[in-house]
Amino acid sequence: MLGRRAAALAEARESAAHVLRASAVGLRIDESVLLMPTDVSLSGAECVVLRGPNGSGKTTLLRILAGTVPPSEGEATLDGSPVDERHDLTRTAIAALIGAPATYRDLTLVDHLVLIDSTWGRVGAPADNRADEMLELLEIKHLAQRFPHELSSGQQQLFHLSMVLVRPSSILILDEPEQRLDTDKRDLLTRILLARKAAGSSMLIACHDPAMTEALADAIVDIQPA
Amino acid sequence: MTGEQKAQLRRVRAAILGNRPDTSASSTLYPVYVAVIAAGTYGVPATQQLFRSIDQKWLAEHLQTPAAAIAAVVLAALLLTVVRFVGQVHGPVVPPLPYLELVVASPMPRKVTLARNWRLSSAGCTFGGLLVGLVLGSGGAITNMFPPVVMLPTTLGGALLGVFVAEFWLRGQLRGQPGTAPPSTSATGSEHGASMRGRRLNALALLDISGLKRQSASNVTIGGAVLAGDLRTVRLDAARPTTSARRVRLRAGGPLMVIARRDVLGLRRAPWSAVFGLGFTAAGSAGLMLSLLSPHTSTIAPLVSLLLCHLGFGTWCEGLRLHADNSGTSRLLGLPYRDTALAHLAVPVLGWTLTTVAVSAGLSLAGLFNPAALVWALGTGALLAGTHLMAAFRGLPPIGVFGPQAGVLSMIFWYSKPLLATLLVGTVMAAWAVRSPAPLSVFAWMLILTTGVFAWGLALVGKRDRRS
Repeated sequence: MLGRRAAALAEARESAAHVLRASAVGLRIDESVLLMPTDVSLSGAECVVLRGPNGSGKTTLLRILAGTVPPSEGEATLDGSPVDERHDLTRTAIAALIGAPATYRDLTLVDHLVLIDSTWGRVGAPADNRADEMLELLEIKHLAQRFPHELSSGQQQLFHLSMVLVRPSSILILDEPEQRLDTDKRDLLTRILLARKAAGSSMLIACHDPAMTEALADAIVDIQPA
Repeated sequence: MTGEQKAQLRRVRAAILGNRPDTSASSTLYPVYVAVIAAGTYGVPATQQLFRSIDQKWLAEHLQTPAAAIAAVVLAALLLTVVRFVGQVHGPVVPPLPYLELVVASPMPRKVTLARNWRLSSAGCTFGGLLVGLVLGSGGAITNMFPPVVMLPTTLGGALLGVFVAEFWLRGQLRGQPGTAPPSTSATGSEHGASMRGRRLNALALLDISGLKRQSASNVTIGGAVLAGDLRTVRLDAARPTTSARRVRLRAGGPLMVIARRDVLGLRRAPWSAVFGLGFTAAGSAGLMLSLLSPHTSTIAPLVSLLLCHLGFGTWCEGLRLHADNSGTSRLLGLPYRDTALAHLAVPVLGWTLTTVAVSAGLSLAGLFNPAALVWALGTGALLAGTHLMAAFRGLPPIGVFGPQAGVLSMIFWYSKPLLATLLVGTVMAAWAVRSPAPLSVFAWMLILTTGVFAWGLALVGKRDRRS
């Protein structure tokens, strides 16, 4: 029953265009300002790139818009409702890579992708195929039977990206997806993200790579440090 | 060790100590002093209680049979196997990192630089075994279970077992470092027939610096985590990375089915956990069902049985614990947090049910089948599921247990709550059920308490969900 419910939710919401909006969103903890009030709006097949020096609050803004951290001022909404990662709608619509995601030390790379895909209610052989295809897409198919602790730093990043890209979503939130990748892999990632955008995905990306930014960005938001 | 080497080590120790006084002798003797006091104050009275709670006539008859000797040998072998496993994670020779970097990595022979650490561990094991043997012997002698002269063989036997424990512990450490053959097949081969002492020193020479550093760093991490009450870090640091059955692949399925398959795959990749879980669970459920046969059974029987059940069930709950460990990171699974936690209980509960039914079938062949005991044991599975939810999602201890008023006992109590819930609810209810004229009402109480424990576990899951 849960499988059918998840599948129905995924199907119904994956195709829908969502509006993710941050209105004067900021975060303050006591006297420390982690993020100055900022506006961001994202809808349809659009890519917004966040830029700014280290410590300006890019990751904090991404966390707020992924619904894992509540803002102390302003409002972050998804289709008019507050963004909260515990809500079904938020989790179904948004796939986020902000920091290292949870991995299991006793599962191989391909096992992780099959597990993630299946828990979204997409059952049967296609889930196995999708896992293989995703590894192939990111050119890490040869690592399918490795465990997460057996990967290099760059391979870890590609694996983390594959975990986010394999699950159904209509909005991608990525925090510096280019980090630890060589030039070829950055080009590959750019092509993959462009394809996702062409297929209708919205993207909010914090990025330090000028070439990636130029290729992907429909709009750029410069975050000002506090 | 030559005189020159001794002098060189003395100079090294003097350089490390600087102007500080050498307190190594007192810091070595203090644990011995505490162990002797604890053995006399708690060990001997506890052993007396244990012997008094057992049917003395039955024990006296069975202690002198071949079966008792076989049981003793099997228990000793089991202990040595476990010690060897422990050695792979934390061996007997683990000097601090600066000593490893500056002294052990130097051209001085390793069997010289590591000899002091080995001597301390070896002496500690031997003395610990001696003390256990002495406590068991004196407890038996005081309760007139056997004459006082038996204290001599129990003490010597304990000391001998301690010597073997140290030896197997060191072999475990050697086995734990990648690419090193055990001493019996390589270095000791050239010195066939050498004394045990000689072989041990060769084993020390085989310990490589990277393995020693890894264990020493892990020592620091685990030590810090223990002081902070973070048993999760201890568990993750102590666990060896999985590398087996990598070609076996997780097959897709429905959201709940894939979680169950994932847990089965995890156990397949950690076969010893699966086997230990099966052994403990089978022994525990058998003990629990047997203890429900007669009102004259000692309360110790269900208590020990439930302890085994808790440990066995727990080894099958690794998937549940890993799910709890991952709270706070970006979520990628499609199932809600709580549903994922409940799905992770499917494999241990199914394992418990199948094992209990199989054990019950075995008991029925021996004419010891009792349908009420089977139903009771199956119901205990729900209690175990609840207490393992509590254990997996308990998080870090509250700041209060670190206060000066609280002490170590508060910390131990806080961590033991899930185990205590299993032992308290399970033992009290089992003891009451077997003596009550209305066992159905006791069963109803058992259901109520089990529901309460399970709800407590779910509340902790919800708490972690809100925090993550």
